[in-house]
Amino acid sequence: MKKVLVAMLLVLAVLAPIFAQGAEEKKATFDKDAPVTIVFWTHEDTSRNVLEDQYLDEFRALHPNVTIEVARFAAEPLRQGIQTSYAAGNGPTVWNLPIENAHAYIEAGLVAPVDYEVVGFKNADDMRKHYADGMIDAVYVDGDFYGLPLELTNWCIFVNKEVFRDAGLDPEKDYPKTWEEMVEVSKKIVKRDGDIITRRGFDFRYSYSLIYFVPMVEQLGGALTEKDGCVNAEAWIKALTFMKNWGPSGENLGNSTLTAPRKLFNKANGDVAMANTGLYQEARIAAENPNFYNSGEWMVVPFPVFEGGKDIAAKYYGHYYHVNAEATEAQQYWGWELIKYFLLTPGHAEEYLTKVGLIQPLESLMNGDVYKSMPYSDVFKADFARATITYYGKNAAAIQTQIDTAINNVMLQGVDPADAYKTLQANVLELLND
Amino acid sequence: MKSKVKTYSIERKQARYGFAFTIPCLLFFAMFSFYPIINAFITSLTDRKAVGRTWSFVGFDNYVYLFTKSNGGFSMLNSMKATGLFTLECFIPMVVIALVLSVLIMQLRKPGQKKFFELCYYIPAVLSSVVAATIWRIMFQPTGLINQLSNTLMFTSGKDYKWLTDNNMLVASTVIVYFWKHMGYFTILFITGLASIPPTIYEAAIVDGSSRWHTFWKITLPLLKPTVMLVSIMSMLQCLKTFSTQYMFVQGGTARKPIDVITMNIYYTGIRTGGYLGRASAMSIILFVIMLLLTVFQFKAQKGGEDVEY
Repeated sequence: MKKVLVAMLLVLAVLAPIFAQGAEEKKATFDKDAPVTIVFWTHEDTSRNVLEDQYLDEFRALHPNVTIEVARFAAEPLRQGIQTSYAAGNGPTVWNLPIENAHAYIEAGLVAPVDYEVVGFKNADDMRKHYADGMIDAVYVDGDFYGLPLELTNWCIFVNKEVFRDAGLDPEKDYPKTWEEMVEVSKKIVKRDGDIITRRGFDFRYSYSLIYFVPMVEQLGGALTEKDGCVNAEAWIKALTFMKNWGPSGENLGNSTLTAPRKLFNKANGDVAMANTGLYQEARIAAENPNFYNSGEWMVVPFPVFEGGKDIAAKYYGHYYHVNAEATEAQQYWGWELIKYFLLTPGHAEEYLTKVGLIQPLESLMNGDVYKSMPYSDVFKADFARATITYYGKNAAAIQTQIDTAINNVMLQGVDPADAYKTLQANVLELLND
Repeated sequence: MKSKVKTYSIERKQARYGFAFTIPCLLFFAMFSFYPIINAFITSLTDRKAVGRTWSFVGFDNYVYLFTKSNGGFSMLNSMKATGLFTLECFIPMVVIALVLSVLIMQLRKPGQKKFFELCYYIPAVLSSVVAATIWRIMFQPTGLINQLSNTLMFTSGKDYKWLTDNNMLVASTVIVYFWKHMGYFTILFITGLASIPPTIYEAAIVDGSSRWHTFWKITLPLLKPTVMLVSIMSMLQCLKTFSTQYMFVQGGTARKPIDVITMNIYYTGIRTGGYLGRASAMSIILFVIMLLLTVFQFKAQKGGEDVEY
């Protein structure tokens, strides 16, 4: 009896995975007035949450048959949550991710094409005309767009003027225009207790090498391509050598184990003079430290360039709102309606910009007075003009990890930059050929 | 017509009740332990990816890949080495020190002293691993408490002992965190084992003129054998499955390779970069086999020798 029972349990355990997927759900005939539930996942952002909660309440009042389940996550948990929920066949109806993470879903057919009728465009060409040149190409695949842009962000250098003056520098004149000047300025600003850094001039956003490091390589003549990986070894090795020199075994100006400067900058405690971050940081400074925001003791300057290098700024990246292609017809419809309400209702793009610091790359917005009135928007706009979108091709996230690791290896583990490049290129090619 | 006479032994009757009580547990185990293992094994034989709706059977290709390719610079062999090193550095000292601490605590006679020390040692065990790792990561920073303490103890000033940036120090940091968090739990287990030894045995030993050292080696340790076996197997398995500490440190910007334990490699391979579920499942099956073999080995090693009874 016992053996029979154990055998039955074994059979059950083996058979269960085979039938676990269940029967395919038939899509019901779509009735716009029928109750429907949509699931909306996005990342945490204090200012944006407040604004979008207001929009959600308005939307619910306009469409009482639609129930919206909202969940907000930190950046990495959101990315993982979307991946695992899709793997389980239960992805959210509306979601956003940085394009370098989201593109894989578009390629896998898991994202629905834009319902042009719902969002108010005649077709793809009409939609394209409403946005700044090239800014929504990242979600254009085989004649259709697969998302609406929530934000297109680039990073410039935020400067704390008081820290500059404390180091005997004039922030208006002495801010670094080149990476070489960045090293010199940081050497003057940095304070140490022996080996231990107590104040930094600047530090990098080490987990986002596609955004800040690849442009540095491009300034030196290198590139990252889907076909050949890390092109131009000399450029890559020079950039890695720069990072090695930045770290503990070189000038000891910073490293990846220290607190990220963008988290310290708003506090204005004198811990860091400069941070590499986007326009959204302005809204965060205003929210977290209004005294500092209103003091005039901060400014934004362009992304530095290597001496003699190409004039290339930090990459820009985008967050787009997408709709799950596996959702029901009704859910997809209301998903697009919600996205349209968020992004394309008159006045909302301006509110996203002024209250949250997010730029939708709409022609009307980027050329409008509201954008011009944002502090240092001219700096961000000028850097947009000398930048390209981040790499979002095959295995983008994995390649970023490889580049992060190469930088870590040269900075913290004493690996020679030439060796680090060889390993990086081998790993990147393995990922591209996988 | 002949009638069939059914006979039931008392044992069979009692067995029915036994099955009734254990079937829910067996079903729970089948669905939440056995089924995931079988599912993982089946997935490990495919090229399934997290972002994708089709996959195909590839046999043992994933296993061959893991032992022949670099897995994007984070090879399975490196993970096995990191896990083995961490386990050796953690579980043996943990068992020994937990035993010593438990014996010392059991010596305390003043009321409340024993409870006080049990509480002190056990408190880290109730803390979330993520919280513990985050706190320790801040303490290990150059401006943190541990580096300041290191400077004081080593009579240096302003020296960065590179708790998070040097490979060997990084491994030591993870061992320290894990040790701090889990030692109390095993100390309590040993205390429970020690408390089950009848005091009359110790009284008899004293009457017979046995020294403390002799009593410990000849009476306490042999009688504690089942608890030692339990603690050593549990601590070894927990060390092999370590994840949170290493993950939180890497999230905080440390190098990954020196502390890229198997569980973290599974997470990165399957979830974080690329979503290679087939490959990650193969890694988890390999880890399962390692844990099974080591457990069997421990059982055999500890079953050798006499069982002592008084």
